[in-house]
Amino acid sequence: MNETILELKDIDKSFPGVHALNKVSFDVRKGEVHALMGENGAGKSTLMKVLTGIYTKDSGSIIFEGKEVEFHNAREAQDAGVIIVHQELNMMGHLTVAQNIFVGREPMKGIRVDDKKMIADSEALFKRLNIDIDPRETMSKLTVGKQQMCEIAKAISKDAKVIIFDEPSSALTDAEIEELFKIIKDLRERQLGIVYISHRMDEIKRITDRVTVMRDGTYVGTLITKDCTKEDIINMMVGRVIYEDPKSCSTVPADAPVVLKVEHLNAGRMVQDVSFELRKGEILGFAGLMGAGRTETARAIFGADPSESGDIYINGEKVVIKSPSDAVKHGLGYLSEDRKRFGIVVQKTVAENSTMATLEKYMNGIFINKKSELKVAEEYVDKLNIKTPGVEQLVVNLSGGNQQKVVLAKWLVRDCDILIFDEPTRGIDVGAKSEIYKLMNKLVTEEGKSIIMISSELTEILRMSDRVVVMCEGKKTGELPIEKATQEAIMDLATRDINM
Amino acid sequence: MNKLKENPFVKKVGINRIMLVLVLLLMYLFFCIVTKWKFLGLSRLVSSLNYAYFLGFLSLGVTFVIATGGIDFSIGPVMFCCSLISGYCLKSYGVPMGAALALAVGVGLLFGIFNGFLVSYLSVAPFIVSMASMNIAKGLASVFTKTQSVSWPQLAEGGWYRQLVKIGNVPVGLFILLFIALICGILMGKTKTGRYILCLGSNSEAARLSGINVKKYCMLAYVICGVLVGIASIFFVGAYTTVQPGYGDQYNNEAIAGAVMGGTSMAGGVASIAGTVLGVFVISLLQEGILAMGFTKDYQLILTGIIVIVAVYIDIAARRRKN
Repeated sequence: MNETILELKDIDKSFPGVHALNKVSFDVRKGEVHALMGENGAGKSTLMKVLTGIYTKDSGSIIFEGKEVEFHNAREAQDAGVIIVHQELNMMGHLTVAQNIFVGREPMKGIRVDDKKMIADSEALFKRLNIDIDPRETMSKLTVGKQQMCEIAKAISKDAKVIIFDEPSSALTDAEIEELFKIIKDLRERQLGIVYISHRMDEIKRITDRVTVMRDGTYVGTLITKDCTKEDIINMMVGRVIYEDPKSCSTVPADAPVVLKVEHLNAGRMVQDVSFELRKGEILGFAGLMGAGRTETARAIFGADPSESGDIYINGEKVVIKSPSDAVKHGLGYLSEDRKRFGIVVQKTVAENSTMATLEKYMNGIFINKKSELKVAEEYVDKLNIKTPGVEQLVVNLSGGNQQKVVLAKWLVRDCDILIFDEPTRGIDVGAKSEIYKLMNKLVTEEGKSIIMISSELTEILRMSDRVVVMCEGKKTGELPIEKATQEAIMDLATRDINM
Repeated sequence: MNKLKENPFVKKVGINRIMLVLVLLLMYLFFCIVTKWKFLGLSRLVSSLNYAYFLGFLSLGVTFVIATGGIDFSIGPVMFCCSLISGYCLKSYGVPMGAALALAVGVGLLFGIFNGFLVSYLSVAPFIVSMASMNIAKGLASVFTKTQSVSWPQLAEGGWYRQLVKIGNVPVGLFILLFIALICGILMGKTKTGRYILCLGSNSEAARLSGINVKKYCMLAYVICGVLVGIASIFFVGAYTTVQPGYGDQYNNEAIAGAVMGGTSMAGGVASIAGTVLGVFVISLLQEGILAMGFTKDYQLILTGIIVIVAVYIDIAARRRKN
């Protein structure tokens, strides 16, 4: 067994009203990938922030390379060799790859930045890591996956001893994930200590050596990955068992009317000649890789981005949707994959967010009828089981899953008939996930809503959909009834247009 | 401190506003002492209110713009433009008083429409738009008045508009300011318009995807601001009668400082009308106090500059702490 490089002992941290970390311990050894798992709000990020000096701990100790240390800010942690690769990338899109990697510590030639050396060093670095990126390229032109590789390269170039990956795969394609894993394995061989935070069970099984699970700010336990099963980990995370069986057959009657028909929709490179139908009471899954044009299709239908051509029929009637407000008038609702940017208004309360699309219903003449607004918000907080101290709580204080439910509440208050769920469970913990699934099923079976569900998780597509549309490179490459949809069949369609 | 924040009364009124009231009282006391109680007089107070009226309307107006996440650096010069054009019409073309006052508000409205249209429908940055329209307002007023200053009539010469500011020692202007502030408060807090302005100021994309006509409500904020600037111009001449073309910039900062001090966030999405009114009182008392202490107007400029920076910094620091 390798020696321990980093140890966190009995870390305690409280915020006003929340005991975020309760005597949590965690350690990483040299040449080990140690997974840190737990539902959202379990305290993983807080623990990592305490480690990297972003938060100050209330008590406990951090032992790094045999000495007790305390980092006061991210810079100190970096200088010591503890580096975090964030979920959201901190890159300057206008600068080149090399400039990004060496930002803040540019090699100098007199008073001038030595660009040549910077590029040569970057090239050498990439070569060492087997990454194929041109350091002269502008950062924003790279795919998210490549950008992440740059971030990792940057970490390594800083002489990292411990690297923390915070949900690195959430924005990557499968091919990019493979590349990432290769790099992580390489880092492990170089005797670095690696912390890997992720929600994805299969990844944990594949590349980690040990798994530590946290729940509600406490340490639950540590397992050797190869000796445990997926169910073991899930049980530790939630304290209960959740089964994810795929749907066996469609629950939509064959004669259900078509509520939404899209014909030959075109909107830029990402949406080319897309046609499909959605039936009443149906969940239509949209599968595909990252960047297949599914979100763009949804946004074009919803009027959020302009479309060049194509017809949209709602309940058999041709409609013109030029803006989201047109779409909302026609009974469409869109739950974006990026809640913070496109879904909620964080400085407003749960109630105010809930009625945002329907405010005219809660008016008394020209005045907002606060009472009825609060009442309807309370009703939906109850119905959707939104965990909040009250409807007048600011949404910013809610967890991701609950924020997602607030967005859903907004559209349900509006009584939208057609709902577009774009990655409805991204970044949401297992418990809240199954609740969202239950809600979606209830909406289609009991309330006669119809749902388009965009998802990059195949298990989610197979579990929820009645029918699956597959897209690739902006085109629809196939449509499968759920009986015929298998992971293999979908992946085949999803990669059909990609030149391998 | 935390315990104090949990107190229901404090929570309702807002810690910021309570602090402002305290600041007001302390400042008043301070000026009274350093000026050896000369400052205590009613006339001083009423004249410091003169400053608060027009600045109050400017500040209320810019509060709506800041709430959208925008900014307006044209309000001061536009206010001067309003009173210059309408005053010139009154004096040189014999336009009746009532019509001149309406014209003043109309000019403000037009600038509001102009700024709002450029910012929301053509997506030009608010900073650029308002800087440009500041120059346009100054130039337009100069051309219109042939670079002459305009003096509005005194009370004895049929200048009844001056009674909007005060009748004898009754501060009529104060009541009008508070009344319009009340309307603004209702508009911001209780109507769809205000709700949507705050929503789009906080997260424009989310508001748009909720089906809100973001452009319309953003423009509306500038239009409301324009009208209030027009009203401000009436109270400016009501207090001082004479206006000179080519000036007015200094009031931009003072009005913005008033709003930000009152708790309106420069990042948009958060606004407080009551806070703005208190902030304006603080600034106008400060102006009057500095004069009473025997300093020149230049010191006022320096001080307001500093106040803007401090107020904005406090806002930023508070937000950073929250994150």
